[in-house]
Amino acid sequence: MPEAIGLNHYLLLGAILFVCGAVCMATKRNAIGVLMGVELVLNGATVNFVAFAHFNPAFAVEGQVFALFVIVMAAAEAAIALAIVLNFYNNHLTVDVDTAEELKG
Amino acid sequence: MSLQAFLFYLLAGLTGLCAISVVVTQNIVRAAAWLLFTLAGVAGLLFLLGANFVGATQLFVYVGGTLVLVVFGVMLTAQGPFITMKTGAAEWGISMIVGLLLYGVLSVALLTKPMKFTSEESTQGEELRRTTVLGEALMSVDGATQKAEVTGVPAEKRKELPNKGERSTVGYLLPFEIVSIHLLVVLIGAAYLARTKRRPAGRAGGVNPPVV
Amino acid sequence: MLDFASKPGLLFVVATLLPLASFVLILVAFAIRTALRSSPEGSIGQQLYQASGGDVPSRWPAWLATAAIGLAFVCSATGFVWFLDDHKQIESLEEEARHGKASDRELAHEKLKELEAHWVGSIDWVRLGASDDPRQGLALQLGFRIDHLSAIMFLMVTLVATLIHLFSLGYMAEEKQLHVEDHQVHGEEGHYRRRGRFGRFFLFLSLFCFSMLNLVLADNLFQVFVSWELVGICSYLLIGFYFERSSASNAANKAFITNRIGDAGFVIGLMIVWTYFGTFNFQELFSRVRAPVQDSHGEKLDLAAQIVRGNVTGEGKGKKIIFDPQGPEVLLFPRQRGHFHAEWITPGGDQDVRDDPKERQFGHMPYWLLVAAGLGIFLGCVGKSAQFPLHVWLPDAMEGPTPVSALIHAATMVAAGVYLVGRCFPLFTAEVLLVIAYTGGITLFVAATIAVVMRDIKRVLAYSTVSQLGYMMLALGVGGWVAGLFHLLTHAFFKALLFLGSGAVIYGCHHEQDLLKMGGLYPKMKITALTMLMAVLAISGIPGFSGWYSKDVIVAQAMGFASVHPEHVLLFLLPLVTAGLTTFYMFRMWLLAFAGEPRDHHVYEHAHEAPGIMTGPLVVLAVFSVGVAWGWPFFSSAFPFIDSESSWLEHQLHHAQPDAVQASFGLNKAEWEAARDGRLSGQYFGKPPIGPELAELEKQKKERYWAEEYSHLAGNLALGVVIIGLVFAFALYYYRVLDPAEGEAQFPGIARFLTHKWYFDELYSALIVQPALLVSDWCKNIDTRCIDWLIDNSAAITVRVAEKDGRFDNRVIDGMVNLFATVAYGVGNWFRRWQTGYLRSYVLFLVLAAVGIFVILSYFINATG
Repeated sequence: MPEAIGLNHYLLLGAILFVCGAVCMATKRNAIGVLMGVELVLNGATVNFVAFAHFNPAFAVEGQVFALFVIVMAAAEAAIALAIVLNFYNNHLTVDVDTAEELKG
Repeated sequence: MSLQAFLFYLLAGLTGLCAISVVVTQNIVRAAAWLLFTLAGVAGLLFLLGANFVGATQLFVYVGGTLVLVVFGVMLTAQGPFITMKTGAAEWGISMIVGLLLYGVLSVALLTKPMKFTSEESTQGEELRRTTVLGEALMSVDGATQKAEVTGVPAEKRKELPNKGERSTVGYLLPFEIVSIHLLVVLIGAAYLARTKRRPAGRAGGVNPPVV
Repeated sequence: MLDFASKPGLLFVVATLLPLASFVLILVAFAIRTALRSSPEGSIGQQLYQASGGDVPSRWPAWLATAAIGLAFVCSATGFVWFLDDHKQIESLEEEARHGKASDRELAHEKLKELEAHWVGSIDWVRLGASDDPRQGLALQLGFRIDHLSAIMFLMVTLVATLIHLFSLGYMAEEKQLHVEDHQVHGEEGHYRRRGRFGRFFLFLSLFCFSMLNLVLADNLFQVFVSWELVGICSYLLIGFYFERSSASNAANKAFITNRIGDAGFVIGLMIVWTYFGTFNFQELFSRVRAPVQDSHGEKLDLAAQIVRGNVTGEGKGKKIIFDPQGPEVLLFPRQRGHFHAEWITPGGDQDVRDDPKERQFGHMPYWLLVAAGLGIFLGCVGKSAQFPLHVWLPDAMEGPTPVSALIHAATMVAAGVYLVGRCFPLFTAEVLLVIAYTGGITLFVAATIAVVMRDIKRVLAYSTVSQLGYMMLALGVGGWVAGLFHLLTHAFFKALLFLGSGAVIYGCHHEQDLLKMGGLYPKMKITALTMLMAVLAISGIPGFSGWYSKDVIVAQAMGFASVHPEHVLLFLLPLVTAGLTTFYMFRMWLLAFAGEPRDHHVYEHAHEAPGIMTGPLVVLAVFSVGVAWGWPFFSSAFPFIDSESSWLEHQLHHAQPDAVQASFGLNKAEWEAARDGRLSGQYFGKPPIGPELAELEKQKKERYWAEEYSHLAGNLALGVVIIGLVFAFALYYYRVLDPAEGEAQFPGIARFLTHKWYFDELYSALIVQPALLVSDWCKNIDTRCIDWLIDNSAAITVRVAEKDGRFDNRVIDGMVNLFATVAYGVGNWFRRWQTGYLRSYVLFLVLAAVGIFVILSYFINATG
């Protein structure tokens, strides 16, 4: 390996997670799948925060604090999202997000 | 190759592959499983980065909490046709192109303008201390966080600022509390939303009652 | 408010307002009933309408109007007696003020003022300008001023009007029916039927009475003018009472339009008067135009009551008028007379004048404008009094109901012109008076000749009226002020009687007016025949009857005038000859109607005497026709029947005669003799004798008017002519010695000329009506050909331009707007496609946007450094 594991490696991984999440959101027709994509995106962000915290001493504490907040927020978001999905399911008898096209112009 | 590098590649590869699998798989139940591994991999990476507390939280909250919620969601809705919902090839193509484009942009940005930080020697004691510091920061204990220079202000003007431009101690008690309340509100809201409502008979199940 | 003790003149005001009250009451009642009539069937309004008489003409307006005018007569009679009493006191006080002791003089003057204030009064009607204007008189006023003339006029008008109201109650009886058949109007199904108009007739009569009395009452020209127009409209309404008949509505229009011509002159006169005097009050006007009779010391002026003429020289404050009997300017005397010296106004002297004189300064105005003002006012009188050349309307006005002819077109309204000439006498210059005299002279002769050949009984009377009015005008023009107005009064009675008599005849003969179809009616209607005979005798001037007194004075006056001015001898010959003509045509009328054998048995057999309500007024009027001019007490004169100067009425009128009459014509016997012998330098009336001769003559006591020198001579001459006329009339129409038809056949030209009324209507038609029609035809052609052509073409051009414009608008401007809208719509629609509504495509867009932002940002970051 030409160099030691540095910030860029983590950031690239975070980017992979982020892109996977985005693509997941774009391709999954299942609402739960979309939710999973969101989780992936958030994880990518978490990785980035912690990586920054690790490699930048001035940012050591804050990075972790924000990573924590992201996790908490993800949890909250998941709860809300699931509630929405269930309601959606109750209303449409499906979890196909393509049936929710009320915003169509 | 040091152990650290090895572990990184291992975990990073695991995480990345699992994430891609989440995307690729058509079955939602399987996707949930792949997500589980992805999250676990991320937790490992966090440990690797020395953020023990965050990593632990990742495991507890994410893997143990959020994912369970997701799985519940899957189970509540995974009936016959919804387990696998195929997406069109064209959509796949477009999505992949866009995704790759994004990844290209991100990686190009990272690699062409690398950020230079002085990497610290990570020691065990340091890490211990860091966890403590994290707790103190969340409790707003004085001196828990380092004092850093204020950026974005010219050096000659900096002395006119309060504290002569030195950053005062930052506490995260208030954000912590806010997040806590937020979480509570969200839970209540989720409970409210998810509760089964009695709907008018005519629209029950969206199906008209059979005509005898 | 009505304090008669301190202002007995208000009695006359009340007398004036009573008919107005009656008019207003009837009008309001009519308005209410009309409103009720249109209310829906069965409603309260309709019930009220039915309860108050329904469609049947109501009688109470007639009684109300008659009661009002009767009361007015009572008021004016009371006022007249009071006035005479006051006047006696005034005369004795004046005597005392002049000759009494110094201490008594003051007292006398005060009492005099008080008594004179009894009979005048005025209120501002319209104020013009601020009250601090130096010309405080700039106000149109409503006022009254009672003198002998107006008081006697009041008595005459109210008495005649009351009698005619009573007569009308009988004459208009058929208007009381629900349906009246008008035999002269033919509708599609026989005769025209309409509702009776009993109330309407009395409504108009009331308005007329008010207007006429107001005219007599007025103390200023403007009030006279207002009343003048009011009587004009009443005349119009009443001539056109049977407006369904085209002849009646045409006659109404003719009367109204002809009067408009006269009134145009009147208005011009008013404007000149207003411009130079700033007041319409008679007394103020006269005191500004005419010199005072005596100065503050009681010394008589040489130019007493004269219009003083002269040449104006100098500018601004140095302006002077140098007196000259032929000068182009007239001296205007101060508004407030104050202290006055006789020396200020002496022949050959001068006086300071101002262009815009203050209260006590003298002013001046061009003489020709004073003449124009006089002519203008006289033109109004010409129209109203039907004088040549505006006399054509009066005969046609006989289309109205006969009582209207009697009241308006014989006794009162047409006499208003004469009355106004008498009132404005001091304003008239010598030239105007000459015009008046000649107008009257021509009129009286022309009308009398036409009256000789008329077959319609009312037309005979109408032309007779015109002729008699001519007599009055002539009298006024030759200085017979008293004579003219005296004749006005006597004429009112006998002409009203004649018309009412003719009304009774027409009523009795079922609306037959042709004299040649009557005849022998005397046994059938004795009262009518006898009363009319009284009137015929009176108008003919048979001694002892009222007409004799007044006509005698006129002829004498004319004779006196002609003797001084031989070049105007025509003014004596015309009335003299016409006196005979008058007798002839009046007896012709009477004989044709009542004497001889019945010519039309159908008319004769149905003829009957009128009811008492109609004959009663006839008898009363007959009494007055005979005796109104007698002396009072009757035997105060030694020879009451042959002494034409013993008339009480005439003596009363002398009191009202303005000083100007004496100043213009009032030479005494010695002066007249001097004038006749050429010893006086003043050859012409209006230009009085000036110089040492006058001073000598002044010393002689003035006893009589110079005209009276000729009184007996003129009277005898006139009587002779009358007897000739009488003989001819009896010869032709009673004894049938000569056949009138034969006479006509012998002089076909003259007969045709007279039956066509001197071709006046034809002349006017050719001179005025046809050219007017021609011009209007031209105008119409110009209108249709040129103006319409222009307008049509410009309209067409406008339409064409508008079409082009519209196309441009539709295509270019609308196109641009539509283009914008289409583009916006298209863009919006295109963008709409991206709003897919699919969650997943939004995510894609988000990502794409992030990529885009990254690229752009990095580009900038690279570019900047």
